[in-house]
Amino acid sequence: MKGTNFKAALSALALAGVVAMVFPAAAQQWPELSPVEKIYADLAKLPADERAKRIEEGAKKEGTFILVHTLRGELGNGHINLFRKRYPFLKVEATADIGSQDAAERLYAEETSGRHLTDVIGIGLPDGREVLAKNYAARYPTPATDKIYPPLKKFNDPQNRWVLFFWSEHGMSYNSNLVPANKAPKDWFDLCDPFFKGSVSFDPAETRFISGIYNIMGEEKTIKWFECLGANNPIIQRGHTQRMELMLAGDHMAQGDNYLYQGLQIKKKNPSAPYVIVYSAPMIASMGGSLINRFAPHPYASALWMDWSVTDESQQYISNQLRGPVTMKHPYLPDDVTLVDNLDPPQDVADRLMAAWMKNVEKKR
Amino acid sequence: MAMSDTTPAPRASARAASGFRLDWRTIVLVLLVLGLAYQVVIPFVMIIWTSLKTVRPGDPEFLSLTVTFANYARAFGSSGFWAATWNTLSFATASTLAAFIVGAFIAWVVERTDTPLAKLIGMILIGRIIIPGILITISWILIASPNIGILNQFINQMFGVRNFFNIYTFWGMVWVQSIEMVPLTYLLLSASFQAMDPRLEEASTMTGAGNWRTLRRISLPLALPAALAALMLLFVTSIETFEVPLLMGGRAGIRVFSTEIFFNTSRTPIDWGLSATYSVAMLSVCIALLFVYFRLLRHGERYQTVTGKDFRPRRIELGRWKYLTSALALLIVFIITGIPLLMMIYVSLLGFYQAPSWAAVQSMSLDNYRTLFSSASAMMPMLNSTILGIATATAVVLVVSLIAYFVHKTQIRGRKLLDYLAFAPIAIPSVILGSTFLWFYLLVPVPVIGTLTIIGLAYLTKYLPFALRFVSNSMMQIHPELDEAAQVAGVPWWRNFFKVTLPLLKPGLLAAWFWVMVHAYRELTVALMLARSENRTAAVLIFDFWDRGSFMQISAFGVLMFSLLLVLVLISHWIGKRYGIQDQH
Repeated sequence: MKGTNFKAALSALALAGVVAMVFPAAAQQWPELSPVEKIYADLAKLPADERAKRIEEGAKKEGTFILVHTLRGELGNGHINLFRKRYPFLKVEATADIGSQDAAERLYAEETSGRHLTDVIGIGLPDGREVLAKNYAARYPTPATDKIYPPLKKFNDPQNRWVLFFWSEHGMSYNSNLVPANKAPKDWFDLCDPFFKGSVSFDPAETRFISGIYNIMGEEKTIKWFECLGANNPIIQRGHTQRMELMLAGDHMAQGDNYLYQGLQIKKKNPSAPYVIVYSAPMIASMGGSLINRFAPHPYASALWMDWSVTDESQQYISNQLRGPVTMKHPYLPDDVTLVDNLDPPQDVADRLMAAWMKNVEKKR
Repeated sequence: MAMSDTTPAPRASARAASGFRLDWRTIVLVLLVLGLAYQVVIPFVMIIWTSLKTVRPGDPEFLSLTVTFANYARAFGSSGFWAATWNTLSFATASTLAAFIVGAFIAWVVERTDTPLAKLIGMILIGRIIIPGILITISWILIASPNIGILNQFINQMFGVRNFFNIYTFWGMVWVQSIEMVPLTYLLLSASFQAMDPRLEEASTMTGAGNWRTLRRISLPLALPAALAALMLLFVTSIETFEVPLLMGGRAGIRVFSTEIFFNTSRTPIDWGLSATYSVAMLSVCIALLFVYFRLLRHGERYQTVTGKDFRPRRIELGRWKYLTSALALLIVFIITGIPLLMMIYVSLLGFYQAPSWAAVQSMSLDNYRTLFSSASAMMPMLNSTILGIATATAVVLVVSLIAYFVHKTQIRGRKLLDYLAFAPIAIPSVILGSTFLWFYLLVPVPVIGTLTIIGLAYLTKYLPFALRFVSNSMMQIHPELDEAAQVAGVPWWRNFFKVTLPLLKPGLLAAWFWVMVHAYRELTVALMLARSENRTAAVLIFDFWDRGSFMQISAFGVLMFSLLLVLVLISHWIGKRYGIQDQH
């Protein structure tokens, strides 16, 4: 994470430009503060200790906290349970069964209907576009974000509408029982080698993956890659984790797009699993965080969660689960790996790339 | 009130209806229409409206009266739409025919012949229904996938032929989908076969016709309503099915309507307009099917076999052939239930997936089961699903019994509208149904969000079409002379309905109740969309396992569910016997 490539890649993203491109609302005037935001603005004026005390007291009075956590299943529940243990006075009504996009969709639906039912949702930054554009996220200035690892601070929102607490990486990997060392892929274009014909898998079109590849290669090269990849007849199969299981069982040789930690989790259970990560090719970093509903029914409890999410306790849990923490070193990625974000390219470019993927890679029948 | 309690004869009923006479039956009918309008019309209006909009629900422009056909132009102008249409129709046709032939054979063997072990065969097949389709699909992927499929490895070792089978093909999809639907076919047909009057067959036999001729000329035509209903339900089930196209179609390069809708609603930003347009296309196919179905069955009285005279369905004596039918049925049941179940048991004992080998056997443990039992968070969803399953099944069966009664046993004008209304939701994909209910109850201040009630209401809509076909088949077989006898005796309409009609419908009602209960128990998509912290269901747990990619844990869960079901089937079998269902045998 401290490597020059990583820093260089992140530095290449001019913050203002990125935010303005991805979240149109960012470039607009700040709208009037909601009652929840007024509380947060007042809290921001207090010294840190007093602020923390006020938040905890407020949360105690509220007694309840409604969260949609998008690290799904046991992973999310384990995280929530740590929070519950830390603040036993709060009744945490949590949902950890839906993904980031569905969480954004839920908040959008509730707020559009004028129903304020949710306090906080977890979110992958590319999925927050509409919620932010509609101004459904509260501005929550907090000193807790000071702890965020310097290269990642670029992903903080100047309007304080989200707090980062994890990130995930997409990259290439292969089954070393099927791919000899001399054939091992080193770069994305190596997947076009006829050796891999019919034996490289991807999920169906995903904006976040295609956007990441665009940020690695640029438009022209991305389309060329789609063309040669398509000629190699890749496997398109839904389900990142399932594909990883299948690849390691010998179903196919390599994966062009998957969360790399999933193979490591399998390797933890079965050290002989023939799993190799391709570190030499640039990887795609997917940033994730929490945002508070602008009309959250429990503003203090929400603030408590946001601040807690970047504490050592929370971040260590994220790291132990092989996800990327935002305040400490990544649990397994080497320092010199090149990471690129997947914030959306301009809409017209995204449309062209999606069409090129569909035409060349998925070749829909 | 007393004046309205007596049911008029059907013809008189028509007169009464034309004269707008208000009686209890009319009140129930009006309530039924209003209830159906609430449960069914609202989602449809939402879908059609969304298909005519380029902005998403929630946008202020969404409620404006300006409409556009842009989504239709976009869909019809894309080759993907026509490819998906062709794929959907061919996949549904092939799967339906295969499932129907096999299911009808087993229903006939079990219900109408003296085949040994018939009851066991039927019970195993019914028990199979509870295993979620996603598990069956995964099992077949692990059985017949190229490179790692057990069958392929076996053939490779024995004959040196690599990748003999490839499950990721059109026919692979048809294979898995059709065997997934065989139990449904069996369930749909068996109730109807149980209610057949043997005297018609005996008369045929007495005139010198053999078993085959009697089957062809008497038994099969009598089963026509049930057969058509089964064909129609299988067809629309195949159109709406999701697991097989998602898990296998992607790799086979075959997109169908359901996966198109899924992909359009799982991308950012969600393309609600195009998804709704695909839903309207699905709806059109289903309405066309329903129209054909009603045309074919417009002379319902031809299929009435349950009259006021007592009868016991005759079992055809097959002689020595009964051993062949038994062996064949057992083989089919083994392929449908045994192979995937064995695969699930095998995988559930592994720490990570690997092909069968001595090393695999050595690595086996019960860890996956231990993990399941130690998960305290599994209890509440299991309880929620049990409540939802039982409540939904009971409500659905009561509503469809009334609908079937009005449609088939009265002459009230416009009664077919009930059938159309109750059947139409079959065309609503679950993802659209879930979001429609969510949006509706967000906009309407009824405090059901986050409760089991909202999921139950959505399930009521979702399962009406299936239950209705189960019950309608049985209702059509009941001769009006029973109704008429009750009227002559001065029995009030409602009493006749509960004391005469419902008991005669028991086979169909139980089949419908069981089918809805099981499917409501394992339903995922709607539950996921409407779930909050307090109303999570068991299927959501399965999804968690699936999402984490644990073939092993999800298999362990499947084995446990199947075991639980066997107990439930035995209990329902006992209840059926206790209350006389089996007396008809």
